[in-house]
Amino acid sequence: MNKVFSACIIDDDPIFVYGTKRIMKEVGFSEEIEVFENGLDAIEELTQKSIVEKKLPRLIFLDLNMPIMNGWEFLDDFIKIPEHIRKDVVIYIVSSSIDPRDIERVKTYDIVTDYILKPVTPKDLKNMLDDLSV
Amino acid sequence: MQKTHTNIFIDDAPIEIGVLDVNMHFVKCSKLWLSKLGKTEKDIIGKSYYDVFPDTTDEVKKIHEYCLLGSYISFDGEKIINKAGKVQWFNYKINSWKNEKDKVGGLIIVREDISFKRNEEEYRLKAQRVANVGGWEVNLISNEVYWTNITKQIHGLDDTYVPSLENGINFYKEGYHREKIVSLISEAISNGTPWDEELIIVTVTGEEKWVRAIGRVEYVNGKAVKLTGTFQDIDEKKRADLERSEIEKRLNIATKTANIGVWDYDLARQELNCDYETLALYGAEKFTHKSLYDAWKKILVEEDKERVINEMHFAIQNDDEFNTEFRIRTKNGKVKYIKSIGQLHKDQNTGAVKMIGANWDITEYKQVVLKLDKRKESFAGVFNNSSVGMALIGLDGKWLKINKSLCNSLGYSKKELMSLTFQDVTHPDDYLKDLNFLDELIAGKIDNYQIEKRYFHKKGHTVFVILSVTKVTKIDGTLSHFISQVVDITSRKEAEEKVKAVLKITADQNESLTNFAHIVSHNLRSHSTNLSMLTGFLINETDPEERANLINMLNESSDSLDETITHLNEVVSVKLNVLGKLEGVRILETFDSVRKSIIALLNENNVILNIQIPKEFVVSAVPAYLESILLNLLTNSIKYSSPKRRLVIDVKTRRERGKIVLTFSDNGLGIDMKRHKHKIFGMYKTFHKHKNSKGIGLFITKSQIEAMNGKIEVESSVDIGTTFTLYFNCFK
Repeated sequence: MNKVFSACIIDDDPIFVYGTKRIMKEVGFSEEIEVFENGLDAIEELTQKSIVEKKLPRLIFLDLNMPIMNGWEFLDDFIKIPEHIRKDVVIYIVSSSIDPRDIERVKTYDIVTDYILKPVTPKDLKNMLDDLSV
Repeated sequence: MQKTHTNIFIDDAPIEIGVLDVNMHFVKCSKLWLSKLGKTEKDIIGKSYYDVFPDTTDEVKKIHEYCLLGSYISFDGEKIINKAGKVQWFNYKINSWKNEKDKVGGLIIVREDISFKRNEEEYRLKAQRVANVGGWEVNLISNEVYWTNITKQIHGLDDTYVPSLENGINFYKEGYHREKIVSLISEAISNGTPWDEELIIVTVTGEEKWVRAIGRVEYVNGKAVKLTGTFQDIDEKKRADLERSEIEKRLNIATKTANIGVWDYDLARQELNCDYETLALYGAEKFTHKSLYDAWKKILVEEDKERVINEMHFAIQNDDEFNTEFRIRTKNGKVKYIKSIGQLHKDQNTGAVKMIGANWDITEYKQVVLKLDKRKESFAGVFNNSSVGMALIGLDGKWLKINKSLCNSLGYSKKELMSLTFQDVTHPDDYLKDLNFLDELIAGKIDNYQIEKRYFHKKGHTVFVILSVTKVTKIDGTLSHFISQVVDITSRKEAEEKVKAVLKITADQNESLTNFAHIVSHNLRSHSTNLSMLTGFLINETDPEERANLINMLNESSDSLDETITHLNEVVSVKLNVLGKLEGVRILETFDSVRKSIIALLNENNVILNIQIPKEFVVSAVPAYLESILLNLLTNSIKYSSPKRRLVIDVKTRRERGKIVLTFSDNGLGIDMKRHKHKIFGMYKTFHKHKNSKGIGLFITKSQIEAMNGKIEVESSVDIGTTFTLYFNCFK
């Protein structure tokens, strides 16, 4: 199993972050997991990274309801990063919202791969890992 | 003896007779002749004839000489005009007498006054000439034909023309006319039937002419020897006759088809004559002439009788036109309306004075008029009493007539409104719309239109109406005026606006409820998933240090859940109906009490508070909400103050359109309006990296102020400051 995928969690809930990281380790994701508490911190860091290192995390878990900058705003800014740099990034929206308007809205973003309702289960992560390995 | 007898015979002969000797001296003269001449025997006897009649012509003298040779002659003398100027014609019969020696002893002259006969003849000829009557004769034995000059003239011939029977017949128009004259002549010759016929001849110049040909046969010893007759030019008269009969025919057809009856009333005889149409009109074929006038009077409807007869008498007495309408009751009891027009007319021949007139049935017309009157009446009734505003509008846009309802709707008196045009009272934004339709109406593209438009009430407010306009045309198809119907829907419109507002509130509340439900579900799910995840870890965890960590997290998570439920409870309580709890609250008093409650916090942060709130400003509010709002705004300002400068807060109030407006400004961090404008008042929205940000304060503030029927707005610039504007209702 390949463990070299770099991953990134953008979520303001520390307990969710703790739990997700723990499961990720269990199913064999890379140790390299970056965490941001809100969209603004994340986009600032990732934009910087795209310029300096020309490299972005392979996988992003993005929460929708966050202070300062929410998931939607993050996506709107993320699209502005040059496509050749972000084209391999896989983004999953991970939220507690079962609001159908949110689910519909996710579909309008091509860069989002899927919507995952919290909590993230080991099974979800295993499937993801398999998809990324292909 | 014989002589004496002769003398007596001559003397007393009842004729003018004279005996002359061979020398033409009078021997004897009848007393009659003497008296005619005004002479005595002495003046005549022994005197020469030529001395007595000095005007005797040489021609007559020669006749005398001829007779003296032993002949008899009878001739008509020439016209003589006597001393009194009287024209006289004489016929002379002259015979010679023989003496004892059988020799001619002289002449016997008998003179007969034929002036009467001759004059008659002259008159006849003259009359013939004047009447264009010519004469003709055909001698059936010699076949000689004689035409008088007038006959020739009628044929267009000159006097020298020599006629023949065949030529004469050929002048008749080929076909019916020629065949007719031939058959008439042969009928006359064989049976002696005279003829009198009007036929057409063709003159030498090719002109067709109506003539009256009269002819008869003269017999001698039972044998037809002569055809004689007259020939008269009746062209003008005949054509006039034909034309008249044509006109008469046409008139008959016209009066018959138009059901116009013609009548005349002979004043002297008091006799009424009616044509068939008139009789039919009155349904009275049985009327006799004598009783007709009385019958007419009887059939008149009682109420009209006296008036009509008076009108008739008036017209007769004043030689005026008789022009009236009356009702009759026919045999089957039906009432008919009759129009009758008459005029006095004097017959030129008889001198009789008649009133001649025409009459016809106008029942249908009358009924239409009556119906129309009824309609007019009912229209007037509708117009005046309708609860719908109505107006008749002229082509120039001016009111012709307006009703009470319209005046009521627009708040004007009838007089005031009449002095205005519909343009004056129309909302300017609706004027063109109305006018465009009106143009189409005038152009004939449409017959009516209906629009929703606005007028201005006299007091200035808007009156909403549904306007229906219909055009009215004259008989010739041109426009006469417009009928406008104005249904006042202002109250309906207002109710509609209210319903819309209520609908919007409902929709907004529905929306916010939905949002709220999702927020609740989201937040509760966050906590529940965390709790289940943590307990899942805890079950399998063996490391005591990690277990302690997990239990700690479980504790935090349940605390968060509790906090969230507290928030939600607050929100729900705000959402409950608070209208009943509204009361008058002095803003300044509330603000002061809030300020005192956090005086330590204000001092600690060294806040400068500028408050300009008039004491008397009382708003309609729930006191606890107002406190909560002011507290939240104050603590927010402190929480998000700029570390670079001392916090200054300005609080002001003003009145605006029946509301009390409070502005709350600080010079703090500000909010990026571009990014966050739509979610400032949203639940769990935070915009600052601040530990104490919960994203609940402004959400509740907004809920509370809306629960009190107010509203809140915000303006902000990053690093300059934020201004909240709050609108409250005044307390009444």
